[in-house]
Amino acid sequence: MTGDSSRPVLKVRDLTVEFVTEDGVVRAVDSVSFDVQPNETLGLVGESGCGKTVTGLAMLRLIPMPPGRIASGSIELDGRDLVPLPNRDLEDLRGRELSMIFQEPMTALNPVFTIGNQMTDVLCRHRDLTRRQARPVAAELLAKVGIPEPANRLDDYPHQLSGGMRQRVMIAMALSCNPKLLIADEPTTALDVTTQAQVLAQFRTLQAEFRMAVILVTHDLGVVAETCSGPSSCTAAALSSRGRPQTCSAARGIPTPRASWPRFPGCAVTGYPSCR
Amino acid sequence: MEILQYSLRKLLAGLPLIFGVTLVSFALMVYFGPDMTYQLLGKNPTPDQILEVRHQLGYDQPFLQRYLGFLREIVTFDFGVASTGEPVTTLLAKTIPVSLILILPGFILGHVVGLLLALAAAYWRGTWLDKLIMAVAVIGMSVSFLIVIIGFQIVLSSSDGLDLFPVRGWNASSLGSYLSYVTVPTLATMFVALGYDTRFYRSVIVEEMTRDHVRTARAFGLPESRILLRNILKNCLIPFITRIMFSIPQVAIGGALLIESYFGIPGIGKATYEAIVTGDQPVLKAVVSLTAILFVLVVVLNDILYRVVDPRVTLK
Amino acid sequence: MNAVTLPLPAANRASGESLWRKAARKFGRDRLGMLALGIVLAYFIVALGAWLGWWAGGWADLTGTKWEPVSSGHWFGTNIIGQDIFDRAIFSTATAFEVGLSVALAATLIGTVVGAYAGFFVGSWSDEFLLWCMGVLDAIPFYLFVAAVAYALTDNPWAMQVAMIATFWVGTARLIRGEVIKLRGMEYVEAAHSIGVPELAIIFRHIVPNTGHIVLVQASITFVSAIKAEVILSFLGLGIKDGMSWGLMIDESTKEVLAGFYNNFLAASLLMFGLVMAFNAVADALQDALDPRKVG
Repeated sequence: MTGDSSRPVLKVRDLTVEFVTEDGVVRAVDSVSFDVQPNETLGLVGESGCGKTVTGLAMLRLIPMPPGRIASGSIELDGRDLVPLPNRDLEDLRGRELSMIFQEPMTALNPVFTIGNQMTDVLCRHRDLTRRQARPVAAELLAKVGIPEPANRLDDYPHQLSGGMRQRVMIAMALSCNPKLLIADEPTTALDVTTQAQVLAQFRTLQAEFRMAVILVTHDLGVVAETCSGPSSCTAAALSSRGRPQTCSAARGIPTPRASWPRFPGCAVTGYPSCR
Repeated sequence: MEILQYSLRKLLAGLPLIFGVTLVSFALMVYFGPDMTYQLLGKNPTPDQILEVRHQLGYDQPFLQRYLGFLREIVTFDFGVASTGEPVTTLLAKTIPVSLILILPGFILGHVVGLLLALAAAYWRGTWLDKLIMAVAVIGMSVSFLIVIIGFQIVLSSSDGLDLFPVRGWNASSLGSYLSYVTVPTLATMFVALGYDTRFYRSVIVEEMTRDHVRTARAFGLPESRILLRNILKNCLIPFITRIMFSIPQVAIGGALLIESYFGIPGIGKATYEAIVTGDQPVLKAVVSLTAILFVLVVVLNDILYRVVDPRVTLK
Repeated sequence: MNAVTLPLPAANRASGESLWRKAARKFGRDRLGMLALGIVLAYFIVALGAWLGWWAGGWADLTGTKWEPVSSGHWFGTNIIGQDIFDRAIFSTATAFEVGLSVALAATLIGTVVGAYAGFFVGSWSDEFLLWCMGVLDAIPFYLFVAAVAYALTDNPWAMQVAMIATFWVGTARLIRGEVIKLRGMEYVEAAHSIGVPELAIIFRHIVPNTGHIVLVQASITFVSAIKAEVILSFLGLGIKDGMSWGLMIDESTKEVLAGFYNNFLAASLLMFGLVMAFNAVADALQDALDPRKVG
């Protein structure tokens, strides 16, 4: 099933990200292009070290900029190129139009502030709410991600929650301002298998409810299969170990790297322009 | 209530430390220290007179007994009479307040300014401002405190310099005269503290800046300045508090001693120095005990503040 | 996550390069660090020469009159009794290195051994005892301690150094202890244990060498602290007894300064500042070079 409009939410063209190290300039992402349609999931897969996390971070310009830099390319969110955007404008977009959740829920949350505090920070930043108004909204969001007794949890600190709950809190925060696009960087890698399944299931429901596009960065094909086995369409973009898009078999538009990739049921696998 | 119990437990745990400090200091200073017998006697003392004085001074008692006597003095807070004739406790009551109002401004300002500079250096990391602040910090670290004191005295107080402040002495009877006497010592203390403190604060802040939760905060669009002053800073509090707390014994005694001796300010530092030089045991015993107690209090307060500041720390 | 390196025209670095060699390379590229190192070496040569008697031997001789200004005969002028300030300052460099090196080496050695032992046996009685010792030494005010040791050693010229060593080892010990606590959980320790390597050997042949970066930096910090402390102690009369040092020169100069004669003060201060600043810069550059996260 394709998205409701033909214009992609995100259009990435020839993105190249480099890092200056003492051994020279290293290219982590090399001329990558892909589109993400509204309401769709794009799985960004590849082996460890292929540059998929850096690609995800580059969308929000979260790469540490002294050693790193976006050498070339464009990232268009709803037609607007993010690469030349000044920081202040980017700060307005982050969390509101584009959100990201990270791999390590343990360290991704600030240990010395309560969950409620951190969530209301985001809510007050992007939605016109006072702290007091934001609290019930935060509680509601926690309920939506499946956290029991959400109102009480608001006063808890991150270390008082389990890994799965922390990740759900992160998801709640990411969804709180109704972003158009969510980037999920290995969201379940740090969780045990049972929690993984639960969180992913929640994820799928939420995506449908909030009608967002999602970029799912992962090295775990099982996760891709899980997320893509549903009504939302899914594209797989594979990055080679050198951060380049994988060569595809032109005929069927399926990326065929060294090992052959399984077909994902329910996935409309589209070839994309830079597939050679 | 929980805090009270915790403090008491911690204070008890600090007792071995107090024993240790007093034992070591007592052994070194009082037991191996100068023999005061002949200073108290006139010329040509008779053997009886010598015995008499030695008995008075307690020299004829075995070590353990003398040490226990010392401990008793600490508990009853009665250290006898100084060589000047006045009771030690009176001396302490006179000099400690002076030292406090002398050292406090420099101590507080040193840490506050150090923190502000470190925040600026960390925020504009890698720019000329950062490099400048760090260069000044290294200079501050490289000069001996004494040189700073003398230098400031020359530049600010002497007739060849700016002649703005009195060269030495102390008069805190009015706010105006207090300010004029305390400024040069305060500036000197600040200058030296800034060197080490700024570098330390900056390295802690920069370390915290690399944490994942900072990246999360950025990912949600929080402005950079706010991230620094709220999200990052609160995580830095534990090392900061440790640093500040443990600089108290150093600054309080060490710093005071030098400044007061040099500027002729009648505080506890000067009294301690004179006691060292003259071998005035009662005063030395009192100072050692006070420092030991101060140290233990600092340790306890430090732990309590940890709990207040960081929710992950539990009172065991 | 590491990125893949494109082949570079420069020489390929084998991934097995040791921390030390890499650090030496990084240090070599740090111009400020190299300059500072050069300055320290220059000072060292000056000190060595003075110590061997090649120059500044006449620092105690009365070669001039009171408070002569700077002249070709006396590069820094003379002090209140007519001794040449320059010679005295140069001789003091030797004293500074004597004090600094002896204290730094001894304190760092003791600190490393004690810290490693305590850290390896963390939680045990020996650890608690050693921590107690460190606490006690921390709690005694430094100047009181020096005075006390001076008394106890009845005016031994090494009293000051002994007191310094006895206080300065604690800082190093705490840091090494912390590091060893971290390292003892490493797998190579477990491996060594399981093949029957005796514990002391594990500590000192396997773990301690991995704390080398801390040891080196601490040694340089101690060197600087010793020199700075000597100045204050000599001023208080608790420092160097025979010979000449920057501290004694500054002590002399305190009266001279009030009369408007600054040469003595400036000579000692500037020379000391030069050495300490250069040494601090070297220690910084060393720390940067040893830090695996910092890019050159």
